Amino acid sequence: MLDSLARLGRVGIGVLERLGRGHLLLLAIFVGLPDLLPRLGLLLRQIYSVGVLSVLIISVSGLFVGMVLGLQGYYILSQFGAEQTLGVMVAASLVRELGPVVAALLFAGRAGSALTAEIGLMKATEQLSGLEMMAVDPVRRVLTPRFFAGFISMPLLAALFSALGVLGGYFVGGGLLGVDDGAFWAQMQAKIDLHEDVYNGVIKSFVFGLVCTWIALFQGYDCVPTSEGVSRATTRTVVHSSLAVLGLDFILTALMFGE
Amino acid sequence: MTESVDTQEPLVRIRGLRFSRGNRVIFDGVDIDIPRGKVTAIMGPSGTGKTTLLKLIGGQLRPSAGTIHVDGQDIHRLGNRALYQLRMRMGMLFQSGALLTDINVFDNVAYPLREHTDLSPSMIRKLVLLKLEAVGLRGARDLMPSELSGGMARRVALARAMVLDPMMIMYDEPFTGQDPISMGILVELIRALNDASRLSSIIVSHDVQETAAIADLVYVISDGKVIESGPPEAMMNSDTEWTRQFMQGLADGPVPFHYPAAALEQDLLEASC
Amino acid sequence: MHNRTVEILVGAFMAAGLVAFFFLAMQVSNLSSSGNGDGYEVIARFDNIGSLKVRSPVTMAGVRIGRVSEIGFDRRTYEAVVTLRIESEYNVIPDDSFAKIFTAGLLGEQYIGLDPGGSDKFLQQGSEISLTQSALVLEEIIGQFLFSKAEEGDSFE
Ligand SMILES: Nc1ncnc2c1ncn2[C@@H]1O[C@H](COP(=O)(O)OP(=O)(O)OP(=O)(O)O)[C@@H](O)[C@H]1O
Ligand SMILES: [Mg+2]
Repeated sequence: MLDSLARLGRVGIGVLERLGRGHLLLLAIFVGLPDLLPRLGLLLRQIYSVGVLSVLIISVSGLFVGMVLGLQGYYILSQFGAEQTLGVMVAASLVRELGPVVAALLFAGRAGSALTAEIGLMKATEQLSGLEMMAVDPVRRVLTPRFFAGFISMPLLAALFSALGVLGGYFVGGGLLGVDDGAFWAQMQAKIDLHEDVYNGVIKSFVFGLVCTWIALFQGYDCVPTSEGVSRATTRTVVHSSLAVLGLDFILTALMFGE
Repeated sequence: MTESVDTQEPLVRIRGLRFSRGNRVIFDGVDIDIPRGKVTAIMGPSGTGKTTLLKLIGGQLRPSAGTIHVDGQDIHRLGNRALYQLRMRMGMLFQSGALLTDINVFDNVAYPLREHTDLSPSMIRKLVLLKLEAVGLRGARDLMPSELSGGMARRVALARAMVLDPMMIMYDEPFTGQDPISMGILVELIRALNDASRLSSIIVSHDVQETAAIADLVYVISDGKVIESGPPEAMMNSDTEWTRQFMQGLADGPVPFHYPAAALEQDLLEASC
Repeated sequence: MHNRTVEILVGAFMAAGLVAFFFLAMQVSNLSSSGNGDGYEVIARFDNIGSLKVRSPVTMAGVRIGRVSEIGFDRRTYEAVVTLRIESEYNVIPDDSFAKIFTAGLLGEQYIGLDPGGSDKFLQQGSEISLTQSALVLEEIIGQFLFSKAEEGDSFE
C-alpha cells in the first residue's frame, strides 16, 4: 500500500523534474537568440534540414488530403443539393484544422524524430561534451538554431499544406465532379474570413511548431546516451508531439472559435 | 591573471574529492596535485573513474564534496562566463574523439579558432594545417569524421585540443587504437608539446610502458582512493604489492579485475534454480 | 551540400511558403473585402436580432456592402443596438432606409438587408437607422403555427 503510494510519488516527481528541465532548456534556448543573429548561416542550414526536406511529404499529403475532402464533401453536400459550398467546406477544414494539425503531425514524424535522433547521437558520441570543453555552449550553438528553424518552418509548411489542399479539392470538385468554378471560389471567398480562419490557423501552426521542436530537442538533449536510449527518445518525441498537437488543437480551437 | 598566481602552486589542486553515481561511490576523499609544466599520468583499472575525474576537472560534473582548483580558481564556484573563459585554456582529448560529425576534419580543427578568435581565414588555414601536420593527418583534411579510423579520429581530436594553445591538455586514453609507429610519434608529440610551450598535461591511460616513458609523475587510483603516487621509476619497483602488480601487469595479486560482485559460485547457483 | 545550394533551396522554400500564405489570404479568404479600417458606422436598434453575429454581412439588393461590427444591448429600452460598418464607396444610402434581419435559407445564417428609402439625405458616420424589422425567430413561428393548429383542433371537437 505505502509502497505503491511511494511509487506513484516517484513517478510524479520524475514527471515534474522533466517538466522543469524542459522549461529551463527552453529558457536557455531563447537566451541564445542574440547569439544566433550574427550566425544566420547556422539557421539557414537547419531550415534546410528541418523545412526544405519536409516540403515533399507535406505537399503530397496536402494535395491528397484536399482531394479526398473534395470527394467526400461532394458526396455529402450533393445530397442536400449544396455542392456549391464545396469550396467553403474544403477550405474551412483545411485552413482551420487540417492544415496546421496534419502538417504538425507529419512534421513531428519527419523532422522531430530526426532532430531527436541527431541530438541524442551527438550526446551519445560525446559531441555535446566536446563542445562544452571547447568552451562552446551546446545549447546556443546546436539547439537554438534548430529550435528557431522549426519555429519558422512549421507555419510555412502548414500554409503549403493548406494551399495545396485547396487546389487538390478544386481539382477534384471543379475539375472531375463538375462543381461550378465560380461558385466554388466565390462561396469560399465569401465565407472564409482572413482573421477568423486564416490568421487563427497560422497562430495554431506557430504554436505547434514551437511545441513540436521543443519536445524533439528536449527529448534528444535529455535522452540516455545509448543507442537504446536514443531510439526510445525518438519514439517519445513522435508520441508526445502528436498528443500535444491534438490536445493543444482542442484548447486553441475552443479559445479561438468558441464564443 | 596567471602571473598573479604563485608558479609553485600546482595547476590543479584536488582536495577531499567525493563523487558518486547513484549508490556507487566513485571517489571517496581523493587529493591530487597536478604540477605546472609537467606530464602527470593518472592510472588505474578500467572503471575506476579516470574519465569521471577529467570531467570533474573540466567542470562538467559536480562533486558531492571537496574542491577542485584549476589555476587558482575553484572551478565549481565559477559563474558560467568565467567557467567558459577557463575552459578556453583547457584542452581535452575525449576517449571517443568527440569530433563533430557533420563537418570535415579541417573544419573540426578550425572550430575552436572560428568560435573564439577573430583570425583571418588564411591565418586559420595556416594554423590548422600546422596542427594537422603535427599529428600526420594533413592529407586527411577533407575527410569527414565517419571516414576516419578510430585512431585517426583521436589524432584529429588531439589537433583540435591543442589548436588554441591551451595551458593544459587532458588526454583520455590517447594511445588506444594506435599502431606502434603512430603511438611512438604520439608519445613524442605529447612530450614535445609539453616541453615546448610550458604546457601541463594530464594523461589517463592503461598503457603502462608508454605512459611511464613520458610521465613525470604517476598517480594510481583504485576503489575511489589514490593508492600511490610518485615518479614512474619508483612506482615500477614500489614496495606496495598492489602498485607493482598493476604497473607490471601481473595477473595474480590484490588488484581486482572484476567489477564488484557476489561470489561466482553463488551467482551460478542462483541462476540454476 | 554546398552553402550556396542550401541558401537557394531555403530561399525557394520560404518563397513557396509565403506564396501559399498569400494564396490563402487573397484567393481563399477575401482580403480586399474584409478590410476593417475604412468605411463608416451607423447604428440600428432591433427588438430581437435572433442569431445575428458580429461580422455578419450587411447587404443591399443582395450585394454585400458591409458587416456588423458590434452588437450591444440598451439597458433602458431593452433593445439590441447593432453597429453596422458600411464600406466607404457606398456613401449614398438614403437615411430613411429600412433595415431588416433576414435568414439565408431556412436554417442559414442571419444577415441585415437594407431597403433604400426616398430621402435625399444620406447615412453617414454615426447616423441611426430608425426603421427596423426584427429577426424572424423560427421557434416563435412554429409556436404560433402549432398554437393556431391547436385552436383549429379545439373547434373540431
Ligand atoms: N553516466 C553514468 N551513469 C552512471 N554510472 C556511470 C556513468 N558513467 C560512468 N559510470 C560509472 O562510473 C564508473 C567510472 O567510469 P569512468 O568512465 O570514469 O571509468 P574509467 O576509469 O574512465 O574507465 P576506462 O579506463 O574503462 O575508460 C564506472 O564504474 C561506471 O560504471
Ligand atoms: Mg575512461
